[in-house]
Amino acid sequence: MSSLSIGGSQLDTSWFLLLSAVLFVLGAIGVLVRRNPLVILISIELMLNAANLTLVAFSRQLQNYEGQLFALMSMTVAAAEAVVGLAILVDIFRTRDVEDIDDLSELKG
Amino acid sequence: MSNQALALLVLLFPIAGALLLAGRGWRLPRVFTVIVGPGVVWASFICTLALFFASAAGDFTYWTWIKSGAFAVPFNLLIDNLSIFMCLVITGVGGLIVTYSVGYMEHEDNPSYARFFTYMDIFIFSMLLLVLAGNFLFLIVGWALVGLSSYLLIGFWYQRPSAVVAARKAFVMNVIGDVGMILGTFVLFVSTRAVTYRKVFDAMSCSHATSTYCFTFDSPTLELAAFLLLVGAIAKSAQLPLHTWLPDAMEGPTPVSALIHAATMVTAGVYLVARMHPIYDVATYAHGAVAIVGAVTALFAATIAIVQVDVKRVLAYSTMSQIGYMFLAVGIGAYSAGMFHLLSHAFFKALLFLAAGNVIHAMHDEQDMRKYGGLWNQMRPTSVTFLVGSLSLVGVIPFVGFFSKEQILGAAFSRPGDNAALILWGIGFVTALITGFYTGRMWWLSFWGKPSPERPVDQPHAPRLVMMVPVAILAVLALVGGFIQTRALGVGPSVVSDFLDNVVTPQGWEENGAAIGVGIATMVLGAGLFWWARSLRPWSARFPWAQRLLEHKYYFDEIYDAFFVRPLDWLAGFAVRDIEGPVIDGVVVETGVVARAGAGSLSLTQSGYFRNYVLVFVGGAVVAAVILLVRASS
Amino acid sequence: MAIAVFVIAAAMAVLGGIGVVTFHQPIRSVLSLVVVMLALSVLYLLLSAQFVFAVQIIVYAGAVMVLFLFVITLLGPARELGRGRLRFQSWLSALFVLALLGLMWAMLQGVQYRQPDKADLSIFGTVQWIAVYLFTNFLYPFELTSILLLVAAVGAIYLSRKRIDDL
Repeated sequence: MSSLSIGGSQLDTSWFLLLSAVLFVLGAIGVLVRRNPLVILISIELMLNAANLTLVAFSRQLQNYEGQLFALMSMTVAAAEAVVGLAILVDIFRTRDVEDIDDLSELKG
Repeated sequence: MSNQALALLVLLFPIAGALLLAGRGWRLPRVFTVIVGPGVVWASFICTLALFFASAAGDFTYWTWIKSGAFAVPFNLLIDNLSIFMCLVITGVGGLIVTYSVGYMEHEDNPSYARFFTYMDIFIFSMLLLVLAGNFLFLIVGWALVGLSSYLLIGFWYQRPSAVVAARKAFVMNVIGDVGMILGTFVLFVSTRAVTYRKVFDAMSCSHATSTYCFTFDSPTLELAAFLLLVGAIAKSAQLPLHTWLPDAMEGPTPVSALIHAATMVTAGVYLVARMHPIYDVATYAHGAVAIVGAVTALFAATIAIVQVDVKRVLAYSTMSQIGYMFLAVGIGAYSAGMFHLLSHAFFKALLFLAAGNVIHAMHDEQDMRKYGGLWNQMRPTSVTFLVGSLSLVGVIPFVGFFSKEQILGAAFSRPGDNAALILWGIGFVTALITGFYTGRMWWLSFWGKPSPERPVDQPHAPRLVMMVPVAILAVLALVGGFIQTRALGVGPSVVSDFLDNVVTPQGWEENGAAIGVGIATMVLGAGLFWWARSLRPWSARFPWAQRLLEHKYYFDEIYDAFFVRPLDWLAGFAVRDIEGPVIDGVVVETGVVARAGAGSLSLTQSGYFRNYVLVFVGGAVVAAVILLVRASS
Repeated sequence: MAIAVFVIAAAMAVLGGIGVVTFHQPIRSVLSLVVVMLALSVLYLLLSAQFVFAVQIIVYAGAVMVLFLFVITLLGPARELGRGRLRFQSWLSALFVLALLGLMWAMLQGVQYRQPDKADLSIFGTVQWIAVYLFTNFLYPFELTSILLLVAAVGAIYLSRKRIDDL
């Protein structure tokens, strides 16, 4: 049911999905553990890409257009988000040198 | 104009006047208040006259006030001879008194002046509502509003602490009566499932058309209801034991004392018994209680009146005593006799109060009779009118007081087969003698002899026309009013009885000759004591303990203070200190404290660290995934 | 043959991902991510998504990653020092993340696919094919996304303008 016939061989959709899960989890680790804000942003991009892979895989499995088009939208949004996030980061970096995101903790209650 | 509309107008004029004065009166020139204040009462009187001449009768419903399922309370007015009678008294005598107070209150500034007439108009409206109401709920509404008006008017000079205290006392005791009334209404409602007079009274007479319940003689529920209603009547009419407020109520301006505490409000209890006569005819124990309360109060109040030095206090206790007579009358079944005495008392007591007001006004608000003296020569018209009122009070022919009081005593004397009524007659007889005495003392002390050296004013001014004319009118009424019902003499017209007997139960027996003779004898003895009081000036304290007892009004105030006021005061203090503060305020404040603490502890989750937040995200995602998995597998 | 391509691309992706997370110098993280992007684009091609493949390389690897590189050169290659202030962060993170992975694995193992729609695989994923759906079914998101890009551009300009007065 989940096998795909690609280029003459039989691949399985669940391999793609699994790979996507692994990449997602790697990105999550990056966001959680790394303290450099830039690296955190990069890890977020990694998570987004993993999601895109899932979308495209399903699109191929179900032979449907929706997955690919949504992946396109996702990429656009990711680009926009990266732009704004970096702009903010640059703005913060102007006033102070942030090496550790734990330094940015004034919004505490 | 239809009777239905007229009846409503009778009610609407005073309240319209009150609203007008409350809204605009204090801003506009005084002449506005002078016209509107008494004017609306007279307009009401004219409408009442129209109803009287049209012999109007009917139960008019104007709209439905409450409608809840099968329970409906209409706003209905019951117009019959009894209510027209009361309305005539209220609007007629009330009109005279309100007109009088145009002059009496002249020293007030504009806002207070308008306020006074607003309150008077509210009172007239409330009293009219009370007597016109066709169902128990509006009776209670009128009852309570009358109590409110009394409070407002007694405490009119609110800058005086004694007036404020007196007003509060009157209001609290009236509320005790209100509670009795309300409970009585509840008892009746529970039995008859009705609140309109028509439906409730049908249950008394066991007529099957409209009643769903039928009371038999000596039914305990009915007795209970009648007693509870009697409590209301006792409180409103200042009978024993709820009487202590009336003397204190003299703190109010004299027209207020005349209107509320002589002519109308305190007679509401008598009206109540007369209106509820179907109930009292069946509830014999309560009916007897009415008479006993009345007789005992009459004697009791008369004895206290002997030692009073304030002219208004004498009149207040006299009022208490005379209302006792009315209660006695309606209590033995002589309803129209009691109502006739109500009418005549309204005449002469209002007369007495207003004439006293003339004196007080001239004496610059001095009310101590020992400081009067010799006013006969200086204020002749007032002295004459006061004398007319006094002789009426004693019950001397040809004044109206004789005819009404002797009719009551004659009815008690000649009630067939009833020894209890004879005892009550005896009490009434003694009271009449004492009445002669204290009335005489009052008159001789104030008006005869040499002017007291402590007189505040040497040349008292004659009263203004607007203050003299109502007094004169009342004097004329007291003089000739008796001749409409000369039943006390056994012959002649009985206009009042004829008028009322189709509404209230007619007196079932006639006065015999002995009664008439005894009546005349009472009059002679009373007049004699009146004359005798002249020679006892100055008052000599021969029985100091009796003097003290009477001066302290039989220590009723002290007893009530010890048994009721002090414990309740303590309870209230306790409640404020130990319940209101720690518990109620505490709960509210503690809620705030708890909320603060909770918020404080919750805000610790806002650590400010980005990575903490992301951890929580991922944790949430894990939880969501678990849920999805569980759902998918189940 | 396709399987071999898949295995290589997947391995590169995973290695790149590990590289993103573990390198201390941010520039190396960025370059690892570029590797991941390229691997993913190969996988897209394997999945008959030609347009997405192209866009991935042009937009993601070509634009977004270049942007990151620019910012890193602007801000300087900072290195993370010390151990960090949150004490249990790494342990809890590992726990949650492994839990997440395990759950996703479990979910993906039991996926029940519905019957695939019968699409023409010769044009599946081509530019024309995408364009048809982009301008009909997906018109609304398409327009909104363009507005989003506008907003992002304006925001970026605003946020990075030179402040004359004190912040």
